[in-house]
Amino acid sequence: MKILLATTILPFAKGGATLLTNWLEKALRSHGHEVDVLHLPFSPDPHDLLEQTLALRLLDLGEQADRLITMRPPSYVLRHPQKVVWFIHHHRGLYDWWGTPYQALPDTPEGHGLRNAVIRSDNQSLQEARALFVNSHVMADRLSQFNQLSSEVLYPPVWAPERFHNEAYDDYLLYVSRMVNHKRQHLAVEALAYTKTPVRLVFAGPAEQPEYLAEMQALAERQGTKDRIRFLTRWISEDEKVSLIARCLAVVYIPLDEDSYGFPTLEAHHAEKAIITTTDAGGVRELVFDGQNGDVCEPSPEALAEAMDRLYEDRQRAKQMGQAGRERLSTLQICWDHVVERLLA
Amino acid sequence: MKIAVLNNCAPFVFGGAEHLASALTQKLREYGHESVLVRIPFQWNPPDKILESMLACQMMRVPNVDRVIPIKFPVYLIPHEDKILWLVHQFRQAYDFWGTPFQHIPDTPEGHRLRDVIIQTDNRHLAGVRQIYTNSHVTSDRLRHFNGLSSTVLYPPLEDVSRFACRDYGDFIFCASRINQTKRQHLLVEAMRYVRSDVRLILAGKPEDSEDLSRIRALIAKHGLERRVVLIPEFITEERKVELFADALACAYIPYDEDSYGYVTLEAYQARKPVITCTDSGGITILVKDGQTGYVTEPDPIALATAFDAVGEHRARARALGEAGYALVQELGITWDTVIAKLTA
Repeated sequence: MKILLATTILPFAKGGATLLTNWLEKALRSHGHEVDVLHLPFSPDPHDLLEQTLALRLLDLGEQADRLITMRPPSYVLRHPQKVVWFIHHHRGLYDWWGTPYQALPDTPEGHGLRNAVIRSDNQSLQEARALFVNSHVMADRLSQFNQLSSEVLYPPVWAPERFHNEAYDDYLLYVSRMVNHKRQHLAVEALAYTKTPVRLVFAGPAEQPEYLAEMQALAERQGTKDRIRFLTRWISEDEKVSLIARCLAVVYIPLDEDSYGFPTLEAHHAEKAIITTTDAGGVRELVFDGQNGDVCEPSPEALAEAMDRLYEDRQRAKQMGQAGRERLSTLQICWDHVVERLLA
Repeated sequence: MKIAVLNNCAPFVFGGAEHLASALTQKLREYGHESVLVRIPFQWNPPDKILESMLACQMMRVPNVDRVIPIKFPVYLIPHEDKILWLVHQFRQAYDFWGTPFQHIPDTPEGHRLRDVIIQTDNRHLAGVRQIYTNSHVTSDRLRHFNGLSSTVLYPPLEDVSRFACRDYGDFIFCASRINQTKRQHLLVEAMRYVRSDVRLILAGKPEDSEDLSRIRALIAKHGLERRVVLIPEFITEERKVELFADALACAYIPYDEDSYGYVTLEAYQARKPVITCTDSGGITILVKDGQTGYVTEPDPIALATAFDAVGEHRARARALGEAGYALVQELGITWDTVIAKLTA
């Protein structure tokens, strides 16, 4: 088949959606399909949202593609008779963050008008799809709640998962993610002050908010835990990530209310590592179950510290939980063959 | 700098300036910039889609980049405060194709209005860009003639100069081009009837259709030139082309009235070989100086044969002409050093 992939991008920004689009392109090609990809620039400014959305709506994709698969929003407004949507997330500032301090537009008639227009546009263009997939149950629930649409959960796999492996359970806990406050690296730093074992922390990810990083470094200094924390503040290579995961004690992944489980969670499973997460992490809880393949703690430094110490003291348990995660994974069909089969059905 | 190169596309249809756009994107990175290639779908059939595409482009945004470099209509309408054009062509149907069989836009009041809108929009938008470069004097002349705008010619260089080199000045004239009536290989074959020196002719290229192939074969047979003319009637690989240029005595390229000088000319000079062309070949004559970097002859077999013999009987002359051709390319700034410096100034 000739498959056209389309996604919106913020030029030069890397993230889960760009990775997923690149991997999907590779997977489709390895299944023998011809693929063309559109990376459409899109500004995050809410005041330009409607105009840019209309621009996408006006584009004519021609007749060559047998199917269109859309990824990051609002690429699903593109018109094609065989449109399949892999819905990654809403414009959260107009959806689940509306009515919270993070809402994207003011509570004025104009703000409300714009919001309603976006919701109407989403409803209409998503209904046009021949199939609607989402990346988690969290997202499926939101689509149902806000757009009255039902969807099929299609979990995003990592690329070449066989790269991830276990070598040892050393003394450090690993948190790979952009350093930004909703990923809550600071909570892990705070937790370290409450630990009784010498367990260490390694953070790897670009410091998107430099003040946030500075605060954490100052905190570690004050707590006297500076020597036990390593801040690798850049986007590390895939090889580096594989090595770091291979030898970690366990993986930490504690974002606030995330849409889906996140690639770090999946990578941990493949490498047979337990996962420390929190009750309010969101989609991570679709994969991590307390006591089985990780610890699901209250989002407090004390609770996290307890989980960290337990793993440090009981390596056998760390190993068992890691292995349990890996075994469970094989029952979940989180793989590219399944993804390609569902998207092209 | 962070730069977005902007081009049109028709999904799954590759060609026409796609090569230039991706070469530019790649070269920008080699010269230390961050670059991304943005491809916007554009359909101009039926003509009413043109207005929609123009509108769509004007409603788009390219965030997080310092500069955009568009190369065609209508993507040069995408707003950005720092825009430098490297114009390959405008919408020719409204300009030099108007009043010809290639007009495409209907000769109705509506069609005329559409043409007016295109011209007015071009006039308005292009006047406000930071700088206009074009790929040839032909494009610049049209822009001046139809829109009253001035521009500077910035010749597209060979993408990969490292491959072409000189190994020897052998015994054959080399013509690398698809075989059809416009490229006029038949004239080159005819010329071989009158050649006195021992030079041969090698033609390499895919015949446009089976008629083109049988015609040229018949011509070679008719004049008993099978020993003097080697026909390779297929698309040859880059490697093979590089090999043939390395050993050729000279390059012959005599199409009828072409817009630009053609990459073949650059390839020949990179291999330090003279170029033989004709007075009515169009853009090629910019790069070929008669008696200095090659020969510019009347489009008839005897004149061409004289040129073949001029190098055939004096190999040293071929070397001098070829070296001068290479020097001319550097002098005219048909290099990526020049292009990147101008586009990122």
